[in-house]
Amino acid sequence: MSRSRRYELLFTPLEVGPLRLANRIVFSAHLTNFAVDGLPSAQHAAYYAERARGGAGLIITEEHSTHATDWPYEKLIHGFNPAVLEGYRRITEAVHAHGTPILAQLNHNGGQASSMYSRLPVWAPSPVADPLFREVPKPVDESEIEQIVAGYADVASRCMAGGFDGVELQCSHSSIVRQFLSSATNRRDDRWGGSLEHRARLLVTLIDAVRDAIGGGAALGVRLCGDELVDNGTTIDEAVEVAALVEATGKVDFLNTSIGVATASLFAIEASMAVRPGYALFIPSAIRRRVNLPVIGVGRFKDPLQADRALREGHCDLVGIVRGQIADADFARKARSGHGEDVRLCLSCNQECVGRMGLNRWLGCIENTRTGREVRPRVVRARRARRVVVVGAGPAGLQAAVTAARRGHVVVVVEREHDVGGQVTLAARVPGRAEFGDLVRNLVRELASLGVDVATGLDADADAVEALGPDVVIAATGSLPGLPWWASDRPDGSPQLLDVVDVLRGEAVTGGRVLVVDELGFHQATSVAELLADRGHAVEIASPALVVGQDLGVTLDLEQFWVRATSKGIVQSTSTLVTSLRPGGVEVQDVRTGANGDRDVDVVVLAVPGVPDDALATSLRARGREVHVIGDARAPRRAHAAVLDGDRVGLLL
Amino acid sequence: MSRGLFDALPIGSAVAANRVVFGPHVTNLGRDRSLSDRHAAYYERRARGGCGIVVTEIASVHESDWPYERAPLAASCASGWSDVSTACAPHGTLVLAGLGHAGMQGSTAWSQDVLWAPSLVPNVQTHEQPLVMGDDEIALLVNGFADGAALAVRSGCDGVELNAGQHSLLRQFCSGLTNLRADDFGTDRSALLGEVLRTVRAAIGGKVLGLRFCADELAPWAGITSASATELLASLAAGVDYLCVVRGSIYSEASTQPDGHEVEGFNEQLTSEVRAALRSNGIETPVCAQGSIVDVARASRLVADEACDLVEMTRAQIADPDLCDKTKKRRADRIRPCILCNQHCLVRDPRNPIVSCCVNPVAGHELDDAALDVDASAVAPPVGRSDAVVIGGGIAGMEAARLLAHEGHRVTLFEQRDSLGGMLRTAARLPGRERLAALCDWLDRELGEEGVTVVTGRKVDPREFPDAHVVVAATGGTSSAPWLRDGDDGSVELFDALAAAQGRTLQGDVVVLDPIGGPIGIAVVELALAAGARATLVTPDVVVGSQLSASGDLVAANARLAAGGANVVLHAVAVQVAERAVVVEDRFTGSITSIPADQCVDAGHRLPGRTWGAPARVIGDAIAPRGILATMLEARRAALELGLVTS
Repeated sequence: MSRSRRYELLFTPLEVGPLRLANRIVFSAHLTNFAVDGLPSAQHAAYYAERARGGAGLIITEEHSTHATDWPYEKLIHGFNPAVLEGYRRITEAVHAHGTPILAQLNHNGGQASSMYSRLPVWAPSPVADPLFREVPKPVDESEIEQIVAGYADVASRCMAGGFDGVELQCSHSSIVRQFLSSATNRRDDRWGGSLEHRARLLVTLIDAVRDAIGGGAALGVRLCGDELVDNGTTIDEAVEVAALVEATGKVDFLNTSIGVATASLFAIEASMAVRPGYALFIPSAIRRRVNLPVIGVGRFKDPLQADRALREGHCDLVGIVRGQIADADFARKARSGHGEDVRLCLSCNQECVGRMGLNRWLGCIENTRTGREVRPRVVRARRARRVVVVGAGPAGLQAAVTAARRGHVVVVVEREHDVGGQVTLAARVPGRAEFGDLVRNLVRELASLGVDVATGLDADADAVEALGPDVVIAATGSLPGLPWWASDRPDGSPQLLDVVDVLRGEAVTGGRVLVVDELGFHQATSVAELLADRGHAVEIASPALVVGQDLGVTLDLEQFWVRATSKGIVQSTSTLVTSLRPGGVEVQDVRTGANGDRDVDVVVLAVPGVPDDALATSLRARGREVHVIGDARAPRRAHAAVLDGDRVGLLL
Repeated sequence: MSRGLFDALPIGSAVAANRVVFGPHVTNLGRDRSLSDRHAAYYERRARGGCGIVVTEIASVHESDWPYERAPLAASCASGWSDVSTACAPHGTLVLAGLGHAGMQGSTAWSQDVLWAPSLVPNVQTHEQPLVMGDDEIALLVNGFADGAALAVRSGCDGVELNAGQHSLLRQFCSGLTNLRADDFGTDRSALLGEVLRTVRAAIGGKVLGLRFCADELAPWAGITSASATELLASLAAGVDYLCVVRGSIYSEASTQPDGHEVEGFNEQLTSEVRAALRSNGIETPVCAQGSIVDVARASRLVADEACDLVEMTRAQIADPDLCDKTKKRRADRIRPCILCNQHCLVRDPRNPIVSCCVNPVAGHELDDAALDVDASAVAPPVGRSDAVVIGGGIAGMEAARLLAHEGHRVTLFEQRDSLGGMLRTAARLPGRERLAALCDWLDRELGEEGVTVVTGRKVDPREFPDAHVVVAATGGTSSAPWLRDGDDGSVELFDALAAAQGRTLQGDVVVLDPIGGPIGIAVVELALAAGARATLVTPDVVVGSQLSASGDLVAANARLAAGGANVVLHAVAVQVAERAVVVEDRFTGSITSIPADQCVDAGHRLPGRTWGAPARVIGDAIAPRGILATMLEARRAALELGLVTS
């Protein structure tokens, strides 16, 4: 197959209502936290424009709230505020400059909201408290429903005035429309509740009102939830019926899909690498069998091949690719030119995109330092090329090399180990974490395209570095395993003491009973525990925190870890502080009560903060050499911090 | 001669008009990293109410510190400090700029860079390792303090308060918990603080230099203790104009501003010890007491007893900005009480909530909700404008009645029970929640002050009052029942948290269903344990009391339950109550467990009540059962709106 025909279906144009899309790649709606005081910002415009420039076929913005009672998170776009118009125009002009159509998503989050910002009661079909926000909503009466409908029409008109090519109604994972559709949240017995016809009345009413508001020349889409994954909730059969009702209005141009409820089953909506790609395709597939409207499928499409296959297999007509285009704004352009393997693959790690959203921070990306900062100027070439020697090919060193090389510096990378990637490569050895290794794969690919060599297996001391003739040295020499205060005294017969890194490097684990000590609260402890349980060890994880691997909650990995841990017999002990090693085990203390206890174990595996390894930098500095210390060598942190450090120093040179 | 709370106090070269301080705290009122017009209005309101000293929200002295999104940055605060000073000056209030650096207790979420610290001790929440500061960073920090202080006084502030208390790099240098350095800054852990104080003094000359200092890190194995604090302060305190004593550190963040589960004035002994030790060393530096001091009588006694010279009453003045004026006018009984709930004033929270107050929802909203600040309008309108009827003597009805009367209406309040206070009065019967009753008591007194006719023990219908100009129905919500997939065979006594709080006997195996994760489910478990029952708490979350981090009681609540021997079932929901057991399903694995039960207490949400219809204006839980702030706000809005319409 020739390169240009590789993803043939993906680049076949499609008519969607009045729009002609150049390809099937949709940058579908997702939160960004870019809004300022409820208004779309310049960052919004730059962010979407960069994906339009990168070749996306259709862009659908994040939600625009249609009513003042809807303000679930701080940085929501207040579509109901007429002042948004200027920001709308800025966005649509920036995107249209690349010939790309853009739709606005309209929504009212209903009971999936808080009164924290609005200082008003939350509205919903019935007084069912949302499982996340936990506020009892006010059941809306007829006049309030009228206000909701009027709000959608009002914001839809404003979107048209702002230059959008149409709108999408988010009736799916966080919406009052889904709450009306679902028996789990709609317990009304009036004309808005009960039978499906009644429950769908709000949706149909909104479609009528919005179509009236936007006129026939604009596109109108409806996004439906195919399976709420909650007790008594909507499942696929009823979702298909709703899709048919939508089509029967004759006023809608496309259907979009999603799975899960944002405030109950978010892990299914923005699945991490623990879930297989295309996991939600059964939804568009079932809907597409019933309706003739174009259907968008979503669900962790990382590369053009997967997306093209979903089209080829007939699951959907368009593919929503969000994180793939967050990680690489040029996803579509690279695929179209036949260089799909150059795409900076999303890891589905959820650390800086999904993870930051829930914490009210701007959208970022673990490996794309430009994400969320598109409004800033692009990297410019250095005025004077320097010879840069990067020591250490972990994420910090590789990123520093990439950024420096992009700016025209002459870069040499040396790495002590035979494999590049440092701790990232080790972390990716654990089953279910393999895609984390794409961070290194992407950087290595980019370095290769920039013509930078990485010399592996070269343990460079200060003399060796000097021999490379650097103008400047970047020390990305990583960290050493830390040793907790209680582990310094090791009486005879104490358990074998290993760091997570030792286990992942393949050091023998000598004994059946393993205690993993989690003082990092992330994947380190949980993944090594799973690895050892898979190998037949009896594993317990002890953490002084209230939750083992607490930040797995942020990346939406917690639920599935629990399921796997339970099936593997992994014991999780919280509020448990290890206080000393003793022959045949450890002493522990319950941090809540001070009660002492102990564990008989053969092996203790430490998931604890590391210690910077900056010896090389120190000796080079002593010789008067310009040295920049980055990554764990500066302060042991997570991969994103390493990438940021690398990028920062690369820009500084 | 006895010393009074309202006696003036010389502080350095300045004089505080009285001893009441509005201390530094996170507000999220900022715009980007500047102090905003909202800050100025917020502080001015407290100054107008007679506060002696306002210390503004702590500003970071160097850009390496960005502990929360709206954390002020000193370099961006010139105009904000100027606005605050200008706004407060007419009231005779001293304005001091809070300055600090959170060090390894900060965040890199916003800076996208690295935390600074004396030594390699990870951040307790994020486990992130900090950068061990070298000479360059130390010089930047010292200069940052000096530059920030100079800018503050240039902008009109009367001085500065440096933070070496909670969330501070200066404390981290002073402490053996966080300073493990081998250099001069480690062998003498006070060296950095001393250098900062000297440099700042040189920068601000005779302006006020205050120090907020942690005198007990609650970590005696390595942390600062009152003894080590006293020793350290002996060499440093003479250089400052006042000293504010606080407690708490990296392992006890919630202990610095705890909720009502901690005793009032918990720092009094620590403060007086430090003060006495200074005095015995001949150091006369005024000492400020901090720590759940919300009662004027207590504050006055502390000053009179020479336990301290100044008293920080921060939450008390969030709740009632006129605390000082009311006291000076000998109407301390009318001070709207802080109930130490921490529900809306503790806002170091990633969602950036704006500081506010359950009992005073105008707090933090001095600009956008100014019309609701009824206390600010001292002139009462003419009496007897119209007849108003309020039905329901919970806090919604009481607040509405109070304000309608304040606006000059003839108000009658009907309550079907024998006493006022409704759900809040009942909630106050739960352990650790006693102080909630203070709001009910205050509202009750104010009804008398405002001349409201209160009729208890009588159930009425809004339609009985066709001639009233205003009818407000605050008739409350209704009980709910847990939503069970497979029903209830009646073998277990099933009742709600309300019944438990009202005194229903708890005995045998008690299973408490807590889908909220707030204070109520925990309190019911504590009640059951105190009654000698075996208690199990079932939560859908991965921790007990998941919502309590907002009020600071999360860790303490977990400790209380563990110490009391409570059983806990995590990430589970009840699906059936049958055969003397509560059957729960694991939310993650779907596995089913049967928990023996004689009683099952539903601590979940209640339901809305009757909505009556015109002409009654329905407010409060009848619309949707919510928290105190939402209720008080709704009552206030309704009363003012109705009061205006009919006047």
